[in-house]
Order: sequence, then C-alpha cells, then structure tokens
Amino acid sequence: MSQLDTLPKHFMEKVGRYGDHQVAVRQKDFGIWQEFTWADSFEQVRNFTLGLIALGLEKGDKVSIVGDNDRQYMWADLAIMSAGGVTVGIFTDAIPSEMEFVIQHSESKFALAKDQEQCDKHLEIKNTIPGVKKVIYWEPRGMWYYNDPWLMSYEDVIELGKKLHDEKPHLFEELVASGTGDDLANLCYTSGTTGVPKGVMLTHEIFLSAVESFHLLEPRLDTDNIISFTPLAWIAEHTLAVTPHVMYGIIVNFPEAPETVRENIREIAPEFLFYPSRLWENLTAIIQVRITDSSWINRLLYNLFLPIGYKVADLQYEKKSVGIWLKLLNALGDLLVFRPLRDQLGLTRVRTAITAGASLSPDMLRFFRAMGIKLKQVYSSTETAAAGTQHSDDDVKFVSVGKPLPNIEFKISDEGEILIGGKNIFVGYFKNEEETAKSLSIDDHGTRWFHTGDAGYIDDDGHVIYLDRVKDMITLASGEKFSPQFLEGRLKFSPYVQHAMAVGAEDKEYVTTLINIDFDNVGRWAEKKGISYTTFMDLSQKPDVYQVIREDVERVNSSLPPGARIQKFVLMYKEFDADEAEMTRTRKLRRGLLVDRYQEIIDAMYLGQDHCKVSAEVKYRDGRTSNIETTVRIATLEMEEIPA
Amino acid sequence: MKHDHLNLGIKNISLSFGGTQAISDVSFDVYDGEILAIIGPNGAGKTSTLNCISGFYRPERGSIFFGNQDLTRTPIHKIAKLGIARTFQNIALYTGLSTLDNIMAARHVHMKSGMLGCILYWGFAHKEDIQHRRVVEEIIDFLEIEHIRKAVVGALPHGLRKRVELGRAMALEPNLLLLDEPMTGMNLEEKEDMARFILDIHELQGTTVVLIEHDMGLVMDIADRIIVLDFGSKIAEGTPEEIRNNPAVIQAYLGQEY
Repeated sequence: MSQLDTLPKHFMEKVGRYGDHQVAVRQKDFGIWQEFTWADSFEQVRNFTLGLIALGLEKGDKVSIVGDNDRQYMWADLAIMSAGGVTVGIFTDAIPSEMEFVIQHSESKFALAKDQEQCDKHLEIKNTIPGVKKVIYWEPRGMWYYNDPWLMSYEDVIELGKKLHDEKPHLFEELVASGTGDDLANLCYTSGTTGVPKGVMLTHEIFLSAVESFHLLEPRLDTDNIISFTPLAWIAEHTLAVTPHVMYGIIVNFPEAPETVRENIREIAPEFLFYPSRLWENLTAIIQVRITDSSWINRLLYNLFLPIGYKVADLQYEKKSVGIWLKLLNALGDLLVFRPLRDQLGLTRVRTAITAGASLSPDMLRFFRAMGIKLKQVYSSTETAAAGTQHSDDDVKFVSVGKPLPNIEFKISDEGEILIGGKNIFVGYFKNEEETAKSLSIDDHGTRWFHTGDAGYIDDDGHVIYLDRVKDMITLASGEKFSPQFLEGRLKFSPYVQHAMAVGAEDKEYVTTLINIDFDNVGRWAEKKGISYTTFMDLSQKPDVYQVIREDVERVNSSLPPGARIQKFVLMYKEFDADEAEMTRTRKLRRGLLVDRYQEIIDAMYLGQDHCKVSAEVKYRDGRTSNIETTVRIATLEMEEIPA
Repeated sequence: MKHDHLNLGIKNISLSFGGTQAISDVSFDVYDGEILAIIGPNGAGKTSTLNCISGFYRPERGSIFFGNQDLTRTPIHKIAKLGIARTFQNIALYTGLSTLDNIMAARHVHMKSGMLGCILYWGFAHKEDIQHRRVVEEIIDFLEIEHIRKAVVGALPHGLRKRVELGRAMALEPNLLLLDEPMTGMNLEEKEDMARFILDIHELQGTTVVLIEHDMGLVMDIADRIIVLDFGSKIAEGTPEEIRNNPAVIQAYLGQEY
C-alpha cells in the first residue's frame, strides 16, 4: 500500500500503528464506557467486510444504512467501503416511503437497519425494493420471533466473514489495496427542501481532501476525542468524525442513548465539539437558567466576572492587546467562574467548538468567547463534503462565516452567487444529470466548482459573508442586489429592534426599512436616560430613540457593499401584529400586505420627505376600531458617494 | 401459545369490605407464558383481585395456588420471593431515591450478603453488588431509561415513573408479573412504548403477565386472553375476539339499551 488514497487504507495504516495499545472507539453501555482498541475495530471491520463479500457484495454496489450512531454503524460503514461498496445513509426518522425512494434510487443491494423499528419499515416496503438481497440488523431486541430469511443479524454476517477469512486469509488486504481515491465512498442524499432528494456522489479523495483542509487550519491529533451524535446519515459526521478517525486517529465516542448525549459529553470532555447553531442557543439558555437558580455567591461571581470576560473577548475581537490587569482579572474569573461552568457543559478541554446551520447571533458568539470558549462558524454543504469556510481562533468577524479553509477556493459569480472550488467538491448527483449540470462546473485547470445557489460576497480581509439564497435576493434599479432577510436578521441582533422589513425593488434606487422598536428594551433604556414617554407611538418617535437605532443601522451598513446599504428608515408607530395579519402566527412577515398597508410611508421615504403624516385604523382587542393620526419621522443616513 | 401448564389457579375467591362485596366467587386460571388481561368497569374488583394474588388482601373464601403454594396462606414478603412481582396503579416508588437505587432495591431478594459484609463492602459483598448492578443495568438498557439513571424519581414525569416501576418489578426476575393499569395517564406514544416493553419482556423471558388496563384497543392488541369482571363477578372469559362480541360484556360496558 504505497499511497493512502482511500479511507480503508488509512484505517489499515492506523491499525498497524496503534494495534491493541490504543483506544479507537468508546461506547457507553450498561453505564460504563466500553473501550475498543484499533485491533478490536480491525477484527470487526475485516469480518464484516468479508461477510458482505460472502453474501455477494461487489465493487461499486450500494449499501443503505439506517440507525442511531454507534460502533456497529461505524464498523459497518468502514467495512462497506473496504469491500469496495458505497455507503448510503438514511435518517432514522425517515418514513417507509422516503426509505423506499432512497433505496430504489441508489439501487442498494443490501440494507443495514439497526433495530426492530427500522427492520419493520423495511419489511413494510419489501415488495417494492426487490434489489435488496438482505436486511442486516445489529440490535436483536424484539427480533427474537422474526423468521423472514430476508433478515439477518450482524453477528451472522461476522460469522460468514470469519469463515471466508479462514479460507482466504489475504482477501481483506487485497480488497483494501484494490481501492482507489476515485472510487465512490458515499452517496449522501440531501434533504431536498425543494423537490426530490438528490444523491451527492462523494469519492474517497473528496473526503480525504476535505478533512485535510480542516486539519491544516486546526490539527487533529490522535489524542483528540469527539462525541459522535449528529446523524451519521448527514455529511458532517463523516467529515468531522469518521474520516479524521481513520486519517489522524482521533477517538470516536458514541453516546449511550440519544437522550444521554449531553451527559456523555460532560463525561468525555471532548477536544472537538460540533453543535448545530440551535443547540448552542439552547446552551446559553441553560446556562442562564442554571445561574439564576444557583446560590447567591455563584450569581455574584458570575455577574462580577462576566463583564470582564466580555471586555477581553471584545478586545481580542478587535485585535487589540489586553492589558495586564484585565488579563489577571480574567484569569481569576476563569478560575472561579468560567472553568467550573465549562466543566458543567463538558467544555473544559474543547479546542475546536464549531457551529453550522443558521448563523449564530454576535451576542451568542460574544457570550461563549467571554466564557473562554472559542466558538467558530462553519459554512459548507453536502456537495463540498462539509468543508468550506471556518473562523480561526483569533480571526473572527461576527458577520462573516469565516475564511475559506486551506486548499479550498471561493469566488463570487457575476450573479453574486458563491462558488466553491477544490478537490473536496462532489462529482455529481447520482442519476441526475440535469441537476448536476446546474450545480457543478469544471474549469480549464480541471478544478470542480460547486454552484451553491447562495448569494454572498468576500470582504477585503478574505472573509466570506453569506447573505441569502440567490433566488430570494432583490435587485435594485442600480443593478445592485440585496437580501431583505439578511438585513432584517442583522438588525434584529440589536436588542432595541424587534422586527424590521427591508424594502427595495427594481424601480427603486436604494433600500429603505420599516423598523419596530422593542418596546420593553427601548422603554427601559429611555427610563435610564430620563426620557419620558407615554405610549409606544410616542416612544417610537423620540429623536433620541431614532439616534440609538441609527447607530444600529450604521453598524449593519458597515458590513454591506455600499449599493446595498439602508439609506432611509422609519420607526413604526405601531408593532407589526399577527392579529392584523401583518405577520404569520410563526412571526414571519407578510411582505406584500405590509407594503400595501404602509404604502404612504414607503412612498414618502423614496420622495425624500423627512416626515410623513399617517392616519390609520386601529383595531382594539375587543373589536372596536378607531382612527389615529400621527406624524412619522423619516431618518436618512449619510452615504459615501457611490461610484457610478 | 401453550395452554397446558398452569401458572396460577384462582378458585372461588370472595372478598368484601363491610357491606360491599368487592369480589364474589371468582375463579380463573393463568397459564404459563401468557398475557392475561383483566378488564371491567370501575369498581368491578380488578385491583382487589390483583391485591389478593400479591397478598395485599386476604380473600375471605377460596384459594389461590401458585404452583403448589397456596398464596392465601403465604406471608406477603415470601410472595415476592416466590417470583411474583407487581406494579401499582398509583405508582409506589421511593421518591427520594434515584432510578438506579429504586431498581437496585428490588434486588434484595436475590442478595445473600449479610449485614456486616454489606457494611464493610468487601470481598463477596462487593462482588455481589457488581453482579446485581449488571442485572439492573441490563434492565435500564432494556427499558431505555439510561438518561434518568441518576435522576431522583420524585422529579420524573409520570410516564417515566411508570417505566421505573416496571423496571423494579423486572429486577425481581419474576415468573409472574402483575401490572395494575401500567398505561394510565400516558399519551399515545408512551402507551405504545409501554406495550412494546411488556411484549418484549414476555417474549424475551417468557414471563407470564396479568394486567389490568382500561385502554381497550391496547388490551385487544397485546392480550392472549381476557377476563371480564363486573360488580365483583366474572362475566366473561376468552380471546380478544370472543370478548369483543360477547353480549354480556357489551351490556356491562354500554348499558341495557344496547
């Protein structure tokens, strides 16, 4: 094996290096962390590989697999690849018809289904998936009285493998050696929010290069631990756990049950942690609740040292030096408050904490940084094998999703679309040339480029800023595009802004915005400043309030290209209200209706007036209506000259 | 289902509380390895019957044979040792203890170490503790309650407490499991989970199960046979299909009109 160009070859190399003196996999069972060395893993993988071969798996065959993350899943995954097969992950909550689609479309020859629940789903669609020769399960519970010969246990496959190994003791090594980097390793079906799911074809080389890119930014070590709990059917777990496991020997830990993940994270205290952004948000809520519930001394210390943590985080963010006193105080805070807090969350050893999915608010990022957790944003997709951009330890911008990882190129097309190029780009959608042609191009140097469908730009420091889906962008008369959602999202990061609606269209020169102030927070601020007010309407029109919001708008503008900046805004005299159908019940703006209803104000902004008289009908909760008349101020922001 | 081996024989038992006849002259058999459901309207004497079996009440007349042992003459603490375990309608756990400790407590019938050995926690006592912990961990795994292993039972939601109680009954390694309304107060998903656990215990260990349950759909799905009680008397006995079409049962549940 001269060149390590596949995952199984890397696996074999690690087995040779670590053998039975280093732990490869841990899984909590019966309340105890059970450890498995590389030699243990090897035996499982080899036997399962040969078992599959004995059952008739041939090179290039697809094998679907569904189940919670555990050691058998990973061993089976490695075995499928070792046998020259392609793993097709299915989410555990897939309904039978979804399973049927993936299994049929991928032409899977075998199906791995963890337990009774998943086996039942397969049995339900048995007649429509005749291509599947066997369904293999590894959790025998409840399966004692199933006698369909179509089903087979993991143990039985292992036994078949052992027998074949006795007959042909070198077969496994030969199989692994015959693999190449261009072989398909995984067919990853994307969730397909629009239309049917697409099978993203990923080769061994793609995974290896994606993980190498991450490794070049932040090295993976063979002493690192990761808890594998995001679904293995998802690309992230392959790029963050399975591939680094075989490439760099990181230890993969499997939780006892999906419900015990948080507890298990605390027990392991991993060096590497990936949560989707929603979970980080949950975590902040948990911390705040726990602090409120804890003893007065804990609360006192927390309230004393958190501002210091914030100050240090801000200075680091601005890349300014932190003074010696502040450093000392922060070290004390770390000792007394932040370290114990991190311990509670299992974050004492974490070196790389990343978030992906919807962007996390700057407040959240600041909060974790103040606690000494360097949380970083990642931007990627299945088509790029989960590698794209990432923040580095000391180069974080709250608006950006980080810089491209080493060996990965980013560029922006003329339409403003983000294109990602490199060796980690997928080779096409399985049996879907039409979609492949839309999303994949190859340039003159032979580099594959993925057309993300996302709009964004790259700033002067090389940071990538993600805006929105291209199709949701609005073009202005100047030809400049902007994303209402992005603007509104950024504005809402301000505690003083509750809702915002950005307006712009092809016949409009610039962007204007209707803003709802957050009555509670602005009210509190006003009281502190000694500004008296009576109603929401009154408060919203105070010049001081306008000034505060103007600063927020300017902050948002500073991260935008000049043509897409907000030039005018008004603070609305009333809140957008779901009862008046201005928002949906899930608090999404009804744009069309809002534009119609507030046409006068919007027109006034574009006509260059500095105020606008409104008379509006107000519906009270008890059903009465009355008319109110008021004047709304229009704020105009100073703009640099936009070069024509 | 083998209906040859008798697990439990109840012969003409009667019980009254003051002037109220709770059970009058009820007889039925429970066969080895079956799931038997006892149903009936409120106050029909279901729980009283179960209490007679587990020794909580003593029937005034009649006998209950478990193998060769007459349960009506057996002290209550010995009934557990015979291999009869039960759960309660209103949950009777040690609310201040953890899930683990609650289930562990049920292992005492299988423990042999003396008091001194346990205090010193040395040698055999230590080894024995580990053995029992293993059994308890298997139950925890089986009932999928790993996440509440160390949680105090009093703070758990109802559905989980029911599961812990089932776990404690399992820890006795019973031949006969008595379940008094194991699914009351649960939502559909919790009920389905509980039904699956009962079926799995039954399949895996061949445990005989007698359960009282109000949810007719579930009873019909999981029981091999059903006994119907009304006003302390047995009014029907048979397979779910037979019971469904039995006029006396329909009348007891729905009234004279039908």
